[in-house]
Amino acid sequence: QNVTVKGVVKDNAGPMPFVTIMLKGTNKAVQTESNGNFTISAPGNAILVFSYQGYLTKEEPVNNRSTINVTLTQDVQSLEQVVVVGYGTQQKRDITGAITSVKGDEVAKMPAVNPIASLQGKVAGLTVVNSGGAGANPVVRIRGIASTNFADPLYVVDGLIQDNIAFLNPADIESIDLLRDASSSAIYGLRGANGVIAITTKRAAKGQTRVNFTSNIGLQKVIDKVDVTNADEFKKLFSTQLTNINASPFDFSNYNANTDWQDQILQTGVINSNSLSFSNTGERTSTLINFGYNKQEGVVKYEDYQKYVLRLNEEIRVNDNLKVGGNITGFYSKYNPTSGSLTNALWAAPIVPIRENESTYYAMPSFQRAQVGNPMASIERNNRTSINKSLRFNGSAFVELKFLKDFTARSTVYADFGFSNSRSFSRPPFSFINIGENGGATTTVIDNQFRSTVSQSQSESHRYQQDHTVTYDKSLDGGHRFSAMIGFTSLRFAGSNLSGSRTDSTLVVPNDPDLWYLGIVNVNNVLGNSGGGGEETNAGLFSRVSYSYKDKYLFNGTIRRDGSSRFAPQNRWGTFGSVGLGWVASEEGFFKDNIKAIDYLKIRASWGRLGNANGAPANLYQQGLSTGSQAVFGEFVYTAIDNAYRPDPNLRYEVVQGIDVGFEMKALKNRLSADVTFYNKTTDGNITSFPLPATQGGYTYYTNLGKLTNKGIELSLGYSDNIGQVNYNLSGNFSYNKNKVVSLGQNTEFQITGNGGVNLTNSGQSIGYFYGYRQIGIYQTAKEMLNMAQFPNSQLGDIAYEDINGDGVISPLDRTYLGTPFAPYQYGMSLSLDYKGFDLLVEGQGVAGNKIYTQRRTSNFATLNYEANRLRAWTGPGTSNVEPILDNTRGNNFLFSSHYLESGSYFRLRTVQLGYSFTSDLLKKINARNLRLFISGQNIKTWSRVTGYTPEAQIGSITGGGADNGVYPVPAIYSFGLNVTF
Amino acid sequence: CQKFLDTQRQGAYTSDNYPYPQGGTPYDTFLFAAYDALRAYNYVSDGFMVVTSIRSDDADKGSTPTDGGADVIGMDNFPALTNGRVNSLWSEYYAMISRCNRIIDQVQNNTEIIATDAMKLQAEAEARFLRGYSYFFLVRAFGRVPKIDRPLETNNNTPQSSVAEIYAFIESDLQFAAANLPLSWDKKFIGRSTKGAANGILAKVYLYQKKWSQAMATANLVMTSGQYDLSVNYSDIFGEKGENSKESVFEIQGTASAQVQTANGIQYASIQGTRGNTTEWNRGWGWNMPSAQLEAAYEPNDPRRERTILYCSSAGNDRFTVYGQKAPFFPTEVPNPKYNHKVLANPAYIAMYNTRGSWWMNVRILRYADVVLMYAEAANELGGTANTTLALDALNSIRERARRGAPSGTLPDVVFTSQEQLRDAIRHERRIELAMEHERFFDIVRWEIDAEVMQAAGKTAYNPNRDRLLPIPQQQRDLSKGLLDQNPFYN
Repeated sequence: QNVTVKGVVKDNAGPMPFVTIMLKGTNKAVQTESNGNFTISAPGNAILVFSYQGYLTKEEPVNNRSTINVTLTQDVQSLEQVVVVGYGTQQKRDITGAITSVKGDEVAKMPAVNPIASLQGKVAGLTVVNSGGAGANPVVRIRGIASTNFADPLYVVDGLIQDNIAFLNPADIESIDLLRDASSSAIYGLRGANGVIAITTKRAAKGQTRVNFTSNIGLQKVIDKVDVTNADEFKKLFSTQLTNINASPFDFSNYNANTDWQDQILQTGVINSNSLSFSNTGERTSTLINFGYNKQEGVVKYEDYQKYVLRLNEEIRVNDNLKVGGNITGFYSKYNPTSGSLTNALWAAPIVPIRENESTYYAMPSFQRAQVGNPMASIERNNRTSINKSLRFNGSAFVELKFLKDFTARSTVYADFGFSNSRSFSRPPFSFINIGENGGATTTVIDNQFRSTVSQSQSESHRYQQDHTVTYDKSLDGGHRFSAMIGFTSLRFAGSNLSGSRTDSTLVVPNDPDLWYLGIVNVNNVLGNSGGGGEETNAGLFSRVSYSYKDKYLFNGTIRRDGSSRFAPQNRWGTFGSVGLGWVASEEGFFKDNIKAIDYLKIRASWGRLGNANGAPANLYQQGLSTGSQAVFGEFVYTAIDNAYRPDPNLRYEVVQGIDVGFEMKALKNRLSADVTFYNKTTDGNITSFPLPATQGGYTYYTNLGKLTNKGIELSLGYSDNIGQVNYNLSGNFSYNKNKVVSLGQNTEFQITGNGGVNLTNSGQSIGYFYGYRQIGIYQTAKEMLNMAQFPNSQLGDIAYEDINGDGVISPLDRTYLGTPFAPYQYGMSLSLDYKGFDLLVEGQGVAGNKIYTQRRTSNFATLNYEANRLRAWTGPGTSNVEPILDNTRGNNFLFSSHYLESGSYFRLRTVQLGYSFTSDLLKKINARNLRLFISGQNIKTWSRVTGYTPEAQIGSITGGGADNGVYPVPAIYSFGLNVTF
Repeated sequence: CQKFLDTQRQGAYTSDNYPYPQGGTPYDTFLFAAYDALRAYNYVSDGFMVVTSIRSDDADKGSTPTDGGADVIGMDNFPALTNGRVNSLWSEYYAMISRCNRIIDQVQNNTEIIATDAMKLQAEAEARFLRGYSYFFLVRAFGRVPKIDRPLETNNNTPQSSVAEIYAFIESDLQFAAANLPLSWDKKFIGRSTKGAANGILAKVYLYQKKWSQAMATANLVMTSGQYDLSVNYSDIFGEKGENSKESVFEIQGTASAQVQTANGIQYASIQGTRGNTTEWNRGWGWNMPSAQLEAAYEPNDPRRERTILYCSSAGNDRFTVYGQKAPFFPTEVPNPKYNHKVLANPAYIAMYNTRGSWWMNVRILRYADVVLMYAEAANELGGTANTTLALDALNSIRERARRGAPSGTLPDVVFTSQEQLRDAIRHERRIELAMEHERFFDIVRWEIDAEVMQAAGKTAYNPNRDRLLPIPQQQRDLSKGLLDQNPFYN
């Protein structure tokens, strides 16, 4: 007996079109309409199966009902989920490599201007080091460091190859796919060796007209300042220091201030993001328009950054076989840099007042005047004296044609244009008050020789890319699915820049941006000008084959022949590829019969080989000349040429090979999910620039050198369930990466030093490890010193170093491994809950096992303000076994040693977010589909022993990383936001 | 596709497409890079000045007590540490040597450059002069250093050569240079390497090796070249107006304009400029302060004292600069009572260039008086009546110039004829005449009076077995994988 069943299918955003409703056990199926309604005729005892890609499939027995309303929930771990695999997509179930997808929503709801910043701690194997600077790009690493020269991943935005994604609106991202292993990224040939981050922007949802608006506004504040001495403490320490070096006391009598320079230069900044989108899908077209505005004020006065993004996506289905479409993004940003210097604020003596009035500031005391300026004078003088704008337009157009039933041809052309221009002028310096010392008068000085300088600079870049692919997809009876794709791609990137400045010899240019053009100053007063350019090209031929049998046995293979203009013609081309195998054990009969607790188990193994050309500047195989130096004879100046670097005519790409073994599992009725991956990646012929001994001329030399490995484990776990009406999801990820330099150089033992010899890269250790002396204490008494190894000029109160080689004296031979700047352990965890309309998200993230070098404490070119640790300096036997005597003339205490290393381990409460989604009753009144309000706190608490502003190790420099020289603070952000859809 | 991938460097030359200038010598652009290296920060300013002057008994670090930190204080009071400054000094001298080697390589091996034999000889001579001069500094500062005589392959890790080998190498360079360099240059190239400069430095190289007769003969070549004399008054030798005068044998050239205040200049004078807290006297770091020992060494009324030491004014005691300006008050305007007067910039140039940085001031590397005193010293060491007379005449010619305009009886002629007495007189004259001009430290070392002089100057930590030489920079030792030996007693 059939009944006619009607109903509505919804998700938490409203009615869903195109949901498939199938009678279980039959081929009979219908789809929902655009308002989510469906009608189906079914036997009274039948079971309806509701399915939609990316959602958990739901089964509903009819039980003779005539109305069945269903709400589907999204499945973040869905096997049906589509994953970007490079020049195409694949279903997650068919993947044999290590690819992780992150939903755009997870990025959109975070208060960040750069979308990648929000991925910190979310994905195993992904390292994100954020900066608190306004609009700053984070440092991103995937699976450690595969090259000593270049470690940034490749970004691919809707197919377009990019270096970063700062130009995207975070709320306009549909998904981010991270291709971590060599087999997944091999299709990118010479560019993918450091991993690939593929971004898919939003498309119009099917069958609906929607308006979505999201906004959040927050305040950023530095909550962990560096502990430095106040005026009284400073006076005490400086007096002690002068006594220690037998100098006469300093006359502090006119220095009565107690200034906290950090408080002066820091500010509470506003962060604000807004996104408005309109989308519509008609019978043959779909359109999405998105407008985004982001603003971020830095926490150092008066930095701020604004960006505007406009994107249009359009698709036209000409007929069943032909589809055309395109995407256009426009981007505009405006940046006001700060001239505030954090080290300046840490160094400036606290005994000096700030200012007398708005144009008269106090100078630092004589003992630091020549080296340290008044931190606020510089900030105020240079505030809003430069205008920096960037424009970016990029777009793509594609044609997709299905033919001969199983074939699809797709051609896409891309263009990307960038322009930036900046203008600035120098404002007259303030007057400075020199406080009288040693009985001298307090004087006010003004630089009456000041001359204004006006500068302008412009640059443009353009990038053209084309991708052409033909794909053949075939499913055969008996469970065979087969897909093959061949393609061709080329990329050309070029740019040029121009800049100049002029100094007026008589006039002071007013503080009026309308005047800041070179033309305002007489043409005879050119200070300088310059221009340059660059060009590079890339071409590749590639193919991918996928095969699966009964969804049980999976195979993926890729091959790419790739060439880069960076290298000499004979070294230009390489052939790369990958093989991936998968076995879905849970599809096997014996498994289904015997192991009930595990719902899904996939074992995958893959191998990939690819090249890395990213690190080497273009055309290094030719001997470049620099013309930037000059000989002077009398008043005559002559241009000189010098070799710009030392060329290696055989320079070629480095080769990265990796193997991966992974397990994916779902268990306990899909509530528990786990993903474990082991990898081993080797870089051979690593492109390296390394310092040659000065006797070889001091030129930079790039060459292929040695071999390094990265081995690691990545683990992700998730558990979702509900307790009554409370749904919860717990997830965590952990990764461990061990980096090792197997060898550097075949015949000669090359090594790379970084940061003035503090970091060393050589065989047997990790890249750029810390290399120095190890502190064992402080020399306490003359008697004790007799029995201790020491330098010839060691004195009481100096740091005692360990005699590593046991020769009875301390010498450079006693330097040793002191740790690594790169955290081997990383982890992240999150808990999300929802109850009725409320939702709560708590995320934490941390690293362990690395060291941070407090290089800011080693400056001793003048007397600088002391950090609080110096209050515990040695003053006599037994007073300290850690902090040496206050005496900046004792060089041994400034040698690089474990004294200046801190544990870089930290755990940070990354996000706490509480939201509320309004019920449909209220939404109906305002005609909305969805409305969510939330409050959020980010970085509100960090547990670490680091004394700097942030424990995030500065690893942007690969072979000289981990130093804290007054790193820009990562602030806490307190924000409020809303998301509404009509 | 191959064509698509053939891109070129944009807006930058390669050695293949560089349009080597026609007309002049085609090696000039390479040579100019070597002359550019002369002005490098440590080559002639910071490291150079600290090593040659602050280390000696004639100067102290100056500035405020803690300024410069361990690096410079270690240089002043010993022992010097193997620090960044020593490394930069080493690196910049070798950068110069590398540029010189490239020129010589171009001359000898680049057949695509069309040049006459005369052009080739002259270009090679200039390069070898600059290379020889650089090695002469290195061997005095560091002792045993690697001898690099050609552009090196990257895997060529070169060990140190003996001091004798380095000296032999320097001699052959300077002899070649002296034989092939011109006597003088057109005004457009004033300050370029000359025969006189090569012979002058060569004479000093002989002097340091106690090759007295060669030193005397070579100095004499300079003195009889007709290019130089003692006509310039002592007071006029220094400062901007005295640049490239008859006194100048080798002088590193700097210039400036109101727009380009530093890029074509030298930081040498700026580092030693007054560290004042008024606009007028805020001219630099205030390093290299004339010492009490130097001050006490002058004979009565010697006008050279006031021209060498800038005395600051104090209450009731106004002092004046050579330009007639009232000197800054100590201690209220400047933290030190004395500064190096020889590097004080003329206010007229400060006004013209709109900066007090003084980067335009040339550095006198070899003055004619130095050559005359070398001649005197070598002649006296050779001994014999004729030589003694020649030595006395040379010495007294310097004193004659020094006392010009002074009350009679000042700086009387030296009349000693015993070799010892005359030796002391010449050494004294050398110290005074060339005070604060980067000779003193190396002089006391070669005279082997360093231990007593340093003790007398209160530099009690000075150990001649160690401190005559600087430590080999640890960074370079690391880069050489330990091939470079450390100097004695530095561990």
